[in-house]
Amino acid sequence: MRRSISKVELGLVAGMCLLMAVVLPLLNSAGIVTDFTISVWGKYMCYALLAISVDLLWGYTGLLSLGQALFFSLGGYMLGMHLMLMIGNLGQYKSDLPDFMVFLGHTFLPWFWKPFASFSFSALMVLLVPGLLALVFGYLAFRSRIKGVYFSILTQALTYAAALLFFRNDLIMGGNNGFTDFKMLLGFDIRDADTKRGLFVATALLLTAVYLGCRWLTCSKFGLVQQAIRDGENRVLFSGYPVARYKLFVFVLSSIIASVGGALYVPQVGIINPSEMSTTKSLEAVVWVAIGGRGTLVGPIIGAVGVNALKSWASRAYPDGWLIGMGVVFILVVLFLPKGIVGIPAQLAALQKRNDDPPPLAPISPTPVIETPEPAIHA
Amino acid sequence: MPLLSFNEGAGFIPCLFSLLEKRGTICMKLSHSIIRLLIAGCLSVAAIADDTPRATIAKAVLMTEDAEEQARLVSSLAATGSEETGKLLSLWRQGGIFIHDLPDETQVAITLEGNADEEGRQRALRVDDGKPLLDASGQPVLLVAADLVTADTDSNLRRAMNSVLDLLALSTPDVAARKNAVTKLGMSQKLERLEDLKTRQAKETNADVKLALEEAIALVQLKSKDALVQAAAARKLGDMKSMMSKDFLLALDKEARAAQPANTEISAAVTEALAKIETHTKWVNFYGTLFRGVSLGSVLLVVAIGLAITFGLMGVINMAHGELIAVGAYATYMVHNLFGAGLSLSPFGWSVWIPGLNAGGALYDAYFIVALPVAFLSAALVGIALERGIIQFLYRRPLESLLATWGVSLVLQQLFKLIFGSNNVQVYSPQWLSGSWTVMDVSFGWNRLFVIGFAVAIIIATWLLLTKTSLGLLIRAVMQNRQMAACMGVRTERVNMLTFGFGSGLAGLAGAFLSQIGNVGPSLGQNYIVEAFMTVVVGGVGSLAGTVISAMGIGVIDQALQQILLNPVLGKILVLGAIILFLQWRPAGMFVTQSRSLDN
Amino acid sequence: MKLLKSVGLALLAASIALGSVPGARAAEDTVKVGVLHSLSGTMAISETSLRDVLLFTFDEINKSGGVMGKKIEPVVVDGASDWPLFAEKAKQLLEQDKVAAIFGCWTSVSRKSVLPVVEQANGLLFYPVQYEGEEMSKNIIYTAEAVNQQATPAVDYCLAQGKKKFYLLGSDYVYPQTTNLVLLEYLLSKGVPIENIGGGLKKDEAGNVISAGKYTPFGHTDYQQIVSEIKQFAAGGNAVIINTLNGDTNVPFFKEYAAAGLNAEDCPVVSFSISEDEFRGLPAKDLVGQLGCWTYFQSIASPANKKFVTNFKKWLQTTKETGIVKENRVTCSPMVLSYNGVYLWKKAVEQAKSFEVEKVVAALEKGISFDGPGGTVTSQKNHHVTKNVYIGETKADGQFKILKSYKGVAGEPFLKGTFKAKVAAK
Repeated sequence: MRRSISKVELGLVAGMCLLMAVVLPLLNSAGIVTDFTISVWGKYMCYALLAISVDLLWGYTGLLSLGQALFFSLGGYMLGMHLMLMIGNLGQYKSDLPDFMVFLGHTFLPWFWKPFASFSFSALMVLLVPGLLALVFGYLAFRSRIKGVYFSILTQALTYAAALLFFRNDLIMGGNNGFTDFKMLLGFDIRDADTKRGLFVATALLLTAVYLGCRWLTCSKFGLVQQAIRDGENRVLFSGYPVARYKLFVFVLSSIIASVGGALYVPQVGIINPSEMSTTKSLEAVVWVAIGGRGTLVGPIIGAVGVNALKSWASRAYPDGWLIGMGVVFILVVLFLPKGIVGIPAQLAALQKRNDDPPPLAPISPTPVIETPEPAIHA
Repeated sequence: MPLLSFNEGAGFIPCLFSLLEKRGTICMKLSHSIIRLLIAGCLSVAAIADDTPRATIAKAVLMTEDAEEQARLVSSLAATGSEETGKLLSLWRQGGIFIHDLPDETQVAITLEGNADEEGRQRALRVDDGKPLLDASGQPVLLVAADLVTADTDSNLRRAMNSVLDLLALSTPDVAARKNAVTKLGMSQKLERLEDLKTRQAKETNADVKLALEEAIALVQLKSKDALVQAAAARKLGDMKSMMSKDFLLALDKEARAAQPANTEISAAVTEALAKIETHTKWVNFYGTLFRGVSLGSVLLVVAIGLAITFGLMGVINMAHGELIAVGAYATYMVHNLFGAGLSLSPFGWSVWIPGLNAGGALYDAYFIVALPVAFLSAALVGIALERGIIQFLYRRPLESLLATWGVSLVLQQLFKLIFGSNNVQVYSPQWLSGSWTVMDVSFGWNRLFVIGFAVAIIIATWLLLTKTSLGLLIRAVMQNRQMAACMGVRTERVNMLTFGFGSGLAGLAGAFLSQIGNVGPSLGQNYIVEAFMTVVVGGVGSLAGTVISAMGIGVIDQALQQILLNPVLGKILVLGAIILFLQWRPAGMFVTQSRSLDN
Repeated sequence: MKLLKSVGLALLAASIALGSVPGARAAEDTVKVGVLHSLSGTMAISETSLRDVLLFTFDEINKSGGVMGKKIEPVVVDGASDWPLFAEKAKQLLEQDKVAAIFGCWTSVSRKSVLPVVEQANGLLFYPVQYEGEEMSKNIIYTAEAVNQQATPAVDYCLAQGKKKFYLLGSDYVYPQTTNLVLLEYLLSKGVPIENIGGGLKKDEAGNVISAGKYTPFGHTDYQQIVSEIKQFAAGGNAVIINTLNGDTNVPFFKEYAAAGLNAEDCPVVSFSISEDEFRGLPAKDLVGQLGCWTYFQSIASPANKKFVTNFKKWLQTTKETGIVKENRVTCSPMVLSYNGVYLWKKAVEQAKSFEVEKVVAALEKGISFDGPGGTVTSQKNHHVTKNVYIGETKADGQFKILKSYKGVAGEPFLKGTFKAKVAAK
């Protein structure tokens, strides 16, 4: 079942892709689906990309990164820089410089901003900057065999440091306000409904492509090694696989996926600022994956969309209580649904099968384990 | 245009003004202001000429609509004031003088004296003559303080009061007040005060005040007409390494250079003095930074020590550690309010009111001592509940315990908001934790000294518990080899629970302390959690000594970078970067717990 | 697998349906207005009060006949301290609910996030919180204090008090950064030598000053080094600290300040972000004697203000809205500026005889006056508002004693360079 993509699955993917990339935009231009819905769903799909990047690391390789929000925002910032320059002299000050530079007294464009006037350079940077950061950080971390919770804590520290850095106005990246008030992208007016629709379609197509690509990767031999690393890293190492290199590849790949998600997110929501970079955002993405079901690719998508839709509704209906509800749901999922929503049918089936046996989810007593392999997620 | 309310003697003026007011043309208003100014001027001149200090104060108190005149009247007391004036002015400053409306619609300034009767009434004394206020039948008037209008002061007026008080304070028996007065007089650089200072110098016996007098006299002499005296004073200040004189020396230098012809004698003296002060400042900053570093390190240590137990020994990633700290801080807040005016909570829309002890003085200050065990216990209980409810199921899945405890942290934060409100709550420090102790211009805040002692005490207590008690023995046994310990009959579940409770309790103690130096609010824990984890990881998981050294190291390096870069954030970022790099070099931290286990 | 997919599909379909429920049409005799504040997240502490006062204002107007005979129907949405969400909610208000005006935003970044949305949809936003200026959107009315309605009058007051040294301290975001740059120019134009301005200067390669003062991030907890620097700065007397720290960080700062032996008489702190409402979370006793500068204080003794405060408190007790704190409430400048905003809008609508944004804005640009609790306010052509400025000193009960007032100060958003230019012209 997992070795290849079945026809049914392919059909469903094609169907969803058709719905998001063709049907909804058509309905939108016909005025049946509002612009608001389009922008909300565009946002959810970007979150889905972020969730896939978390899952690729955590669900498939056993690396819980709390730095994915950093890569997501870095992608956003890279495209944001281009968008800021594309405002041209349409800003508040009618100056060629971005507004925030003018009111902080800058008189010329800093050198590192100049190449971002080119879209292709910026697009390249969306891939390169987070990729390189992940490469360097990952190389150092995996070389010294930092793993498990240490890896989580280190990525958390990295994100925290980066957010502190981006909050500083001295960095000339807009400080706390970040980038806003975008006007043009590739010659189109970004505030136009047509442009928004275009971005929506692009996001839908990209999400499909990333889904299929990851599906292929995780089904390949590479994917098997990846999952073997998750389930018993030392055994893989002793079998002669260069574990560090495998991890590094996945880390860089997932950072790029997150970054692309961020780059598509920014023009659709119209703002990027350092609060997107917080560890809380990273943890939220992990929550989507955990709720949706890790170690699958459809899980993160369901989680990202479901949790955010729920949040939109609940934060309006129960502004005081929804965080408690979310926290509790999350604790329950971790305790009782280790495979998330996607895993429910399998769990129910297993429950039925062992009707007479003691329930499989009975509390695991803290029995000592000398070597603690993570329990396999795919039974 | 507000009406003036002069006292009886000037009763006609309000009538005049109200007449004028009715016409209300701009021209009238203008002349009206001029008249007012003239009259006020005459009155105050008269006041200075004839009135006793008491009468002047009474007059000033009632002049509520003219802050400048109030300040002027008060300043005039410098020439005539006595001990009694000082007392009255201090009383006014503290809100002890009231404005009372007499039946004939005039106002009088009063103070309250004697013990309150059962209705809270006290005898009223007139400020202007010090005699009891009598009613129409000649009986003394009894009044309740809470019903009266307090005579307000503003900072301008208080400054005027202070300069009068300073002059009067030159002969006060209180050493600190005397020294403070001397310094203020020095900084005012008024030549006419030089004699007062010198007279005092002849009489002064206290060494500290003598030094302050020397400094003040030299400062005043900088304004001398004689260039030689000025230069000598500058040299004197340089020898005294007087940091506060820096601005005055620079000003003098500017003057000397601008003078025609430039006064090189003074310039040379000033340059020499400034160089000495500069060197001294460097040392002050060096020791100051060191102290601040150790104190920041102690804060980190106090915050991280609980984590060193739960994460370091037990291997549980508790993302709700910050919220356990907040539990401790809120517990302190509750004790604080129970000692004070009472505690009002509104959990889930219910209103709860618990009356407080309304304690004052030393008893109120003792709330913090009571708060420490309360904070420890409440955080420990929450921790134990957390361990029993969630963490015990996740010992084999550390990453999942990270996630579940993050969920707990969300829930707890929201609960704080629902119970205590989303605003921060106010916690006042006890008297003995406020203020500072200054040695050679390096100031050591009492709260900062306290945290260092607090950290040392916690470390010693933890170490004793782990190494000298039977519980400690069990804890170490279980943490080293749970299976073996269980085989030997140790109730590992109970030990786990107690260990986690102990670590959480330490977090609660941290919260109690943090309430003294910062915010108490729902997000209190979030500000410290990343740093706390880094401290434990750098020190080496499972090593108490490692945590101590890494906390101190991070604290001192952070403060040193702040001092060098003069930037609070850049230092923090650099420290974080350095930590990340350090861990590449030593992935297990400074102190590695040796183990043969493969996946440790 | 099939089952999973269908579950997923069903979820997606359900969420799409949820997301696209069109807003209910407004009834004929009501007019919808949006209230866009954070009711959850970090900013909820401050912004919830503005929601409350807005609802109070709408009730007050509805009781006296509404706007042009129509009752106001508020649509309250939660920005949740999430800046992209602010833009999303603004869009929702304008496109789905078709509100006639939005009252909202607190932080600069939320305003910046909403700005493109209101400009594109041609909406109207009333922004009520002191801000850095340097902005003038055709679709925003800034009832807020501009820098010259808060910072420069406060500096004038300090100079008049004989203060000679100014230490600039703030949170690292755009409001303090811009305010301090303006203040730097202003102080220099008033003859304060540059060495008497503390906190540090940063220049770019061309030698332009791009940042003046000391900045700490949000949630900063350690002010030891900064306070020791201030202590040395203020050792010679006549110093004042210009404080633009954000709410929370004031507590560790003031606690450190007091512990270092500094006090309001020797080295006062002028704060621009601490109003009566913020005081509820600060140790008021530690702050007695410090200065504040706003265009409204609750302690203003005018009949209009007394009426406003009493009515608001009465409303709090009687209202049936959920989630409103009823005890220990105070009024403060951002609340009154929100209140003024609603009345200015009402008057403009009545003068324009239309709810259309262009016509309302045109009426406002011509100058609409309203006698508010803080004195008369008048809208200006540049979308800012003329109002009185008050300097106050904090008291132990969390109120301000008013020390000085400046009448009818016009709001001027673009200040940078103007003082420098004045000096050059001389």
